[in-house]
Amino acid sequence: MDERFVQVGILPAPEQQRTIRRAKEKKPVCSAAVLGLILAGCFLGGWFWEGPPYMDLYRANLPPGRDAWFGTDAMGRDLFSMIWPGGRVSLSIGLLATALSTAAAVLLGTLSGLGPKWLDRLLMRFTELFLSVPGLLLAVFFQAILGKANAATLSLAIGATGWTGMAKVIRTEVRQMRQNGAVLAARCMGAGFFWILRKHLTPNFMPAILFMVVMNIRNAMAMESTLSFMGIGLPLETISWGSMLSLAEKGLLSGAWWTVLVPGAFLAVTILCITDIGNYLRRKNNPRSSGLPG
Amino acid sequence: MKKCLNFFVSLWALSMAVFLVARLAPGDPLTSYYGERAEKMSPQERSWAEAKLGLDDPLPVQYARWLGNALHGDLGISYKYKTDVVSVIGGRIGNTLLLGLSSFALIFVLSLGLGAFCAWKEERLPDRLICRVGTILGCLPEFWLSLVLLLVFSVWLKWFPTSGAYSIGGDGGLSDRLRHLVLPLAASVSGHLWYYAYLVRNRLLEEVRAEYVLLARAKGLGKGRVFFGHCLPNILPSYINLMAISAPHFLGGTYVIETVFSYPGLGTLAYESARYRDYPLLMAVCLLTGAFLMSCNFLAQGICRRIDPRLGTEDGGRTGEVTEFG
Repeated sequence: MDERFVQVGILPAPEQQRTIRRAKEKKPVCSAAVLGLILAGCFLGGWFWEGPPYMDLYRANLPPGRDAWFGTDAMGRDLFSMIWPGGRVSLSIGLLATALSTAAAVLLGTLSGLGPKWLDRLLMRFTELFLSVPGLLLAVFFQAILGKANAATLSLAIGATGWTGMAKVIRTEVRQMRQNGAVLAARCMGAGFFWILRKHLTPNFMPAILFMVVMNIRNAMAMESTLSFMGIGLPLETISWGSMLSLAEKGLLSGAWWTVLVPGAFLAVTILCITDIGNYLRRKNNPRSSGLPG
Repeated sequence: MKKCLNFFVSLWALSMAVFLVARLAPGDPLTSYYGERAEKMSPQERSWAEAKLGLDDPLPVQYARWLGNALHGDLGISYKYKTDVVSVIGGRIGNTLLLGLSSFALIFVLSLGLGAFCAWKEERLPDRLICRVGTILGCLPEFWLSLVLLLVFSVWLKWFPTSGAYSIGGDGGLSDRLRHLVLPLAASVSGHLWYYAYLVRNRLLEEVRAEYVLLARAKGLGKGRVFFGHCLPNILPSYINLMAISAPHFLGGTYVIETVFSYPGLGTLAYESARYRDYPLLMAVCLLTGAFLMSCNFLAQGICRRIDPRLGTEDGGRTGEVTEFG
């Protein structure tokens, strides 16, 4: 059928389509390399250079130069030595929050997919409720309940907001699978919920949600930085990319552009790399929508 | 009728939740009322002040009093601004509506245009370029995008003011307001646009592969005619549906952007009141936002059922699919 579409000029010509396909199957080597570098710098960097200094008001707002590679912030701290531990906190929050929301999504999704009808309806109503409120406001809400923010509570608050999309996908997949012979047979032989989940369901829905998991890391990191920037997330003393940016608004007006651009650039590059990898996973594992970039 | 009831029950639950969370969270509401003086108060003064604001009663009593007053249309007096909450909000809501509606309209038009353009140029250079740029801009955190915009256009180039909705001491005329609107609008649009543009593009690409397109082409209709006359109208329902559904997310983003640009709207108000424990104001802003969100959702459901009856049946239909676009 495709040929006719090409003939009437709706689809690109075959040779063009081939190059497109090749471009689509390209592995995100570049992003993976850059991300690897950043990860290595953040998690291993502590062995090679010393941690961030305390306040040093004589050296406040130095522009980037030989003294301080990335300049210093309004409190006189050297940005270069803050970037790496800061990244460690930001990335850890991203990973931890994603682990939490993935666990919640798997549990709620499978419960809803396998459970009786009333449970399914109840859980789906619950999910809809979460979906209809903007994630950021929800995270602020949870953070307010949890009290003073530190890395752990912030991850919890962010993780509690990110599971809805995944849970819906998992539910749909599980519903399709539950009449599957293997699942039925396991049930007949008396397999418990967690056994079926681990042996039969997880391997099947994992590819479908893998890219969502990766994108979730990105969203959690963006949310962390937004919350910290607004002063609701991590306090200034806990260095993360977000809390470094919360000083940036003052830096902006005093002309200290490096306080805005340096942590932000690291955050942006990390987020972009993760997005690129996530998009690759989506194209690879969800071939149905593979013709479409995103 | 059932929907109305649902609406009010949700609103009531929301008010209860906000009330509880606001009171349980740490912070001192007296600071917002008395400013710096609150820290130097003696215990007697403190308890007197708390009694005056009604903060010494047990929580259920406080809530019941608030609810009773609110049902009579009295939402209380803002601790910080010392005036009626309604008038504080009334002064700000226009700004938020201006920002929100204008960026909503811009995104609606631009994403339709951009998406159609990309689909028309499928996989050719302009399409690939726009997709690439969109992926990058779409996934950056909004507040950082706003900061960079501020840095470039108002600190370095000095084209636009850094904050506010009108200049202090200025005449407050239209051009002044527009100049203050440009940057927040740009930040909001460039953060949200791409998601919707992709949706339009991808739906269009699915649509041009349908059989009826082949028929129309075979009958001799031009490509443009088929594209804009047949395909575009066919994707509009799902697009409008998505726009209606995503209004809340949009609002969340607008709040952040308002805070960065110190734009005097509901977002900054919500932020301030949460920070300074201005309970009456916080309650009112949260309820207003919640009511807005819920009416958007109801509206969206109504719209999509009207346009496409298939959507109303099983879990919101296809809209759930597009929750994740890079």
